[in-house]
Amino acid sequence: MIILFISSGLFLGWSLGANDASNIFGSAVGARMISFTKAAIIASIFVILGAVIQGSGASGTLGRLGSVNAIGGSFTVALAAGLTVYLMTKASLPVSSTQAIVGAIIGWNLFTGSVIDIHSLTQILISWLISPILGAAFAFILYHLLKVWRRNMKTHLIKYEERIKLGLVLACAFGAYSLGANNIANVMGVFVHSMNLETASFSLFSLTGAQQLFLLGGIAIAAGILTYSKKVISTLGNNLLELSSEAALVVVISQSLVLFIFSSTTLANLTVKIGLPPLPLVPVSSTQVVVGAILGIGLYKGVRNVNFRLLGSIASGWITTPVIAGLIGFFLLFFMKNLFGIDVGHAINPVVHEGSSLNTNLLIKNSIIVLLIFATAYLVYLVMREKSKSKKINEGGPLR
Amino acid sequence: MSLFTHTTRELIIQLDEFFDSIEISTLIFKEGIKAYVNGDNDTFQAHLKKIDELEGKADRLQRAIENEMIIHSILPQQRSDLIKLLDVLDEIVDTAKGSLNEFYIEIPKIPTTLGSDFIALSEVSSNAAEELIPAARSFFREPHLVREKLIKVYYFERETDKCSFNIKVKIFHNMPELQLAEKAHLRYILHHIESISDRSQDAADMLASMAIRLML
Repeated sequence: MIILFISSGLFLGWSLGANDASNIFGSAVGARMISFTKAAIIASIFVILGAVIQGSGASGTLGRLGSVNAIGGSFTVALAAGLTVYLMTKASLPVSSTQAIVGAIIGWNLFTGSVIDIHSLTQILISWLISPILGAAFAFILYHLLKVWRRNMKTHLIKYEERIKLGLVLACAFGAYSLGANNIANVMGVFVHSMNLETASFSLFSLTGAQQLFLLGGIAIAAGILTYSKKVISTLGNNLLELSSEAALVVVISQSLVLFIFSSTTLANLTVKIGLPPLPLVPVSSTQVVVGAILGIGLYKGVRNVNFRLLGSIASGWITTPVIAGLIGFFLLFFMKNLFGIDVGHAINPVVHEGSSLNTNLLIKNSIIVLLIFATAYLVYLVMREKSKSKKINEGGPLR
Repeated sequence: MSLFTHTTRELIIQLDEFFDSIEISTLIFKEGIKAYVNGDNDTFQAHLKKIDELEGKADRLQRAIENEMIIHSILPQQRSDLIKLLDVLDEIVDTAKGSLNEFYIEIPKIPTTLGSDFIALSEVSSNAAEELIPAARSFFREPHLVREKLIKVYYFERETDKCSFNIKVKIFHNMPELQLAEKAHLRYILHHIESISDRSQDAADMLASMAIRLML
C-alpha cells in the first residue's frame, strides 16, 4: 500500500528526470559534444547523490509552505502535480514541476483549511523571479570570461574543444547533483512529513528517513533520465537559440550554480556567518534557469536571435502552472476524501501510526536495495553496450 | 570523448603538415614556372616531381584528418565546414600540380617578351595561396585575426586578374606574329596559372564565414 501511495511521487520524479534532465545535458548532446548514454549515466549517478546528500534544504521550505500530514494527502498532492505536468506537456504548454508541486501544496492548504505560510510562499515566488535573472547574469559573465580566455590563451581550436568537452562532462555531473539536491523536494518533499521513517543502517552508511525517500525519488529521476530524456531532447531541440559547445557549457554551469545556491545549506549558513541575509533554500525551475542562462548568452551576442515569444509563454507558466495544479489538487483531494474515504490530512499535527511504521521502514529499505541492484545492473549494461558500439566503429576502419 | 590527448595532438600535427604541404607546393609551383620560362628543364623536372609528392602527401593527410575527426567526434559543430575547407585547400595543390603537368605535357611556347609576365603572374597567383595559409592556421588559434589576414588573399587575387588580363591583351592585340592556335594555347595556360588564386579566393570566402561563426 505504501508503495502505491508514493508511486505518484515516483511518477513525478520519473517525469522530472525525463523532462528536466535535458536542461543539464540536452544542449551538450544536441551539440554532439557528449554521447547521450555517457551523459545519461553521469547525470543519473549524480542526481541520486545530490538528492540524498543535499536534498533536505529545499525540501524544508516546501514543508513549511504546507506540511502535508497524511500519506493519502501526499499521494494526491504529488499526483496533482504529476497530472499538471503531464497535461500541460501534452497541450505543449511550458510547465515546471516546481511550480506544479507548489500549486498542488497550496491546493492542499486550501482544502484542509491550513494557513498558508506567507513567508515561505514569498520566498518561493521571489526565487522563481530571481533564478532566471541569476542564470542570465551567471551566463553573461561566464560566457564573457570564456571568450576572453579563448582569445588570450590562443589555444588550438581542437585542444580548446577537448577542454570544453571535459568541462561539459564535469558540468553535467555538477548540474545533475544540483538538480537532485534542489528538485528532489518537488518529488519527495510532500512525503517527508507524512511518512515517519526510521534511520536505516546499511553496512557502509546509514540514511535518515528523509534521505531514504530522497534516494527513492532520486532513482525515479534517474529512471526518467535513462528511459525517456533522449526522446525529450530530440523532440525539443534548441528552441531558444542555436547553442555552440561553449555556450552549452556556460548554460549548464550557470544552471548548476543557481540550483546549487538555492539548495546548499552550507552556503546559506555561510552567508549568515558573514552577516548577509540567508539564501532561501527553495526548489526552483531548472527549465526557467536554463531559459535565463540562454537569454544571458543572447544578450552578450546581441538579442536579435532570441525567441521572445517563447520566453513570454514560459513566463506565463509562472501563473498558469500553480493555478492549474492547485485546482487539480483541490478536486482530487475532494474525491479522495469523499469518494474513497482516504485520509488526506488536516490542519493540525499528524498522528503517527507506530504499528505500521516498522513494516514501512523495512519495505522502504528493501526497496532501496532492490532498486540499487537493478540500477547497477542497468548501468553495467549501458556501459557494455557503449563499449561494443565504439569497438564496432573502430573495427570498421577508415570511413573514406 | 575518447581518452583523446594523443589523438588531438596527432591531429594538430597532421593539420600543420597539411598546411605546410600547401604552402611549399605554391612555392615550388612558382619556382617551376620560373625554371620552365628560363628553359632550365632539369630544375623544372625536379619541381614537377616534388609537387607530385606533395600533392600525394596532402591527399593522404586530408583523408587521415577527416577520418580522425569523424571517428573521434572531434569538432562536431565545425567538422563539415572544416572538411569542405580541407577539400578546397587541397584543390590548390591539385591545381598547382595540374598546371606544371600542363607545361610538361603540352610544352607551350612562351614568347621571350612574355617570359617575365608569365613569371610575374605565377608569383602573384601563388602569393594569394601563400597568404591564405597563415589565415587558415590562425582560424584554429586566433579566429579574430582571420579576416584581416584574408585581405591580402583578396588583394593578390585581384592583382592576378589584372595581370592575366594585361597578358591576354598583349597576346591578342600586340602579337600578330602568333598563330591563333598559339594564342589560344597561351590563354589556356594563363587560365591554369590564375586558377590557383581563384581556388585561394574560394577557400578565403569559406574561411571568413567559418571564422565569423566561430566567434559568435
